[in-house]
Amino acid sequence: MLTHFAWMTASGQLIAASSSDEGSRGFGLVFLLSGFIFYAAIYLRYRNVDKRHKHESETESAMFNMQETNDFVVSKTGLTNSKIAGANNNVVRGARRKFF
Amino acid sequence: MPTDDVEPEAQPATSTEDAPNVFRTDDGAQDGLAKCARCGATEISLNVATGNLRCGFCRFEWATDNAIEAFNLNGDISKLSGILVGSGSSDIVPSTEEILTFKCSACGAEVVIDTNNSTQARCHWCRNTLSMNQQVPNGAVPDMILPFTVEKSTAVEKIASFVGKRKFFAHPKFRAEFNAENVMGVYLPYMVVDINAHARMTGEGEHQTRSYTVKVGDKQEQRYDADLFNVVREFDIQVNDLTVESSSDRLDQNTSQNSNNIINTIMPFDVENSVRYDSNYLAGFTSERRDSNLDQLSPIAHTQAEDITRHRVNDSLAFYDRGVRWTAEEVDVRGQRWVSAYLPVWLYSYQQRNSSGKTFLHYVAVNARTGETMGSVPLHQSKLLLVAGVVQLVGTVIGLVLVAVGI
Ligand SMILES: [Zn+2]
Ligand SMILES: [Zn+2]
Repeated sequence: MLTHFAWMTASGQLIAASSSDEGSRGFGLVFLLSGFIFYAAIYLRYRNVDKRHKHESETESAMFNMQETNDFVVSKTGLTNSKIAGANNNVVRGARRKFF
Repeated sequence: MPTDDVEPEAQPATSTEDAPNVFRTDDGAQDGLAKCARCGATEISLNVATGNLRCGFCRFEWATDNAIEAFNLNGDISKLSGILVGSGSSDIVPSTEEILTFKCSACGAEVVIDTNNSTQARCHWCRNTLSMNQQVPNGAVPDMILPFTVEKSTAVEKIASFVGKRKFFAHPKFRAEFNAENVMGVYLPYMVVDINAHARMTGEGEHQTRSYTVKVGDKQEQRYDADLFNVVREFDIQVNDLTVESSSDRLDQNTSQNSNNIINTIMPFDVENSVRYDSNYLAGFTSERRDSNLDQLSPIAHTQAEDITRHRVNDSLAFYDRGVRWTAEEVDVRGQRWVSAYLPVWLYSYQQRNSSGKTFLHYVAVNARTGETMGSVPLHQSKLLLVAGVVQLVGTVIGLVLVAVGI
């Protein structure tokens, strides 16, 4: 069982590596990984180990008495990342599904 | 609102977790013979087509009270304070016997009910059905129950179709043995929680002002300009019907050891349509007993409530298109209401046995209210590896050519 996970993790990392790779060379890399990608896709489709109840969005909730503060700090230029460093406004900590 | 200086708050000596306030949910519940109001028969079961109880003899049908109304669970969540618990959700007493002896009120014989597996039994002498609705502190009788409304035939179709789309790489033994008719109707135990909380979240957010490319060497690279803000959000939040598994078996969702995540995935249920518990709803179905208490379930429920809060507050963060980094999240739970429920699931299970003798239980589960279906199908590893290998081989050739040509 472990070997599959190791393989999938490896392919996941490689996919991540290839997608961050700019432009044309990534296209060739996808082919070089096609076996790993195929394995991972079939594994997930049959075993669905990645699925869980999305409690964070599927549970009914309501907010009241909202007080907002938005204080400008600084303008930054020439950033290489498209997202703020350490963005965590979408993290989920209460998922009990243990995967990877 | 100006951001106050963060002052070290003098916490009131951790308020000795005020004991839960228990409200009775089995008032008036009677054990023993439950009779049809029209003909007096005790052959009572759920009519899945209508969600009502039906007499097996005269076909008379009736509905049990909606639990939400009966227990006044619709009450304003914002008024919740402290911990409110349905009597069927209170702590399990470890010593409670799972075998209860009843006196049949029709013929006087003594009948045994094993509450581990069911809360119903038939009298051996007069064939009357005896049922237990009063709560024994062993988790066998919940506060409310959500009746099956998806028929078995529908569940069989859904399971067959789910597996049918996953036949090619399925394990040959599974393919040979699969029969969707073997699905079982199971009431699984859950806790349904309402939470009234106050949240204060502090952090930093970035808003993109410009996106452009620059030349680095002979390559183009993407660059961004952005404004950084200090962000604070303070609000009240009310979470309605957060649902968590309450049997320790189902709580364990380690996907390398079980496929409980499959059953977890088919949530949510329309728990607002639950009725007061009546064991006649169990006739023809099996049930699993709750074996976890508030102590064990509170941390999970609160963590999930924080997830809901974090997710929800994104509604007010649309401006921060580069995301927000929270440095402090305080979710202060002021009130919570816990109710235990049996929720209906059609379950197809398949025990896979490895050559090494290890077993793994696969599930295909159907939410018996919404029809949502999810499953785990055992793989034919060698076949998958073989095909993946061929794909890899072909891919490598094409990939090498592409890289060589420089596409
Ligand atoms: Zn009748
Ligand atoms: Zn009897």
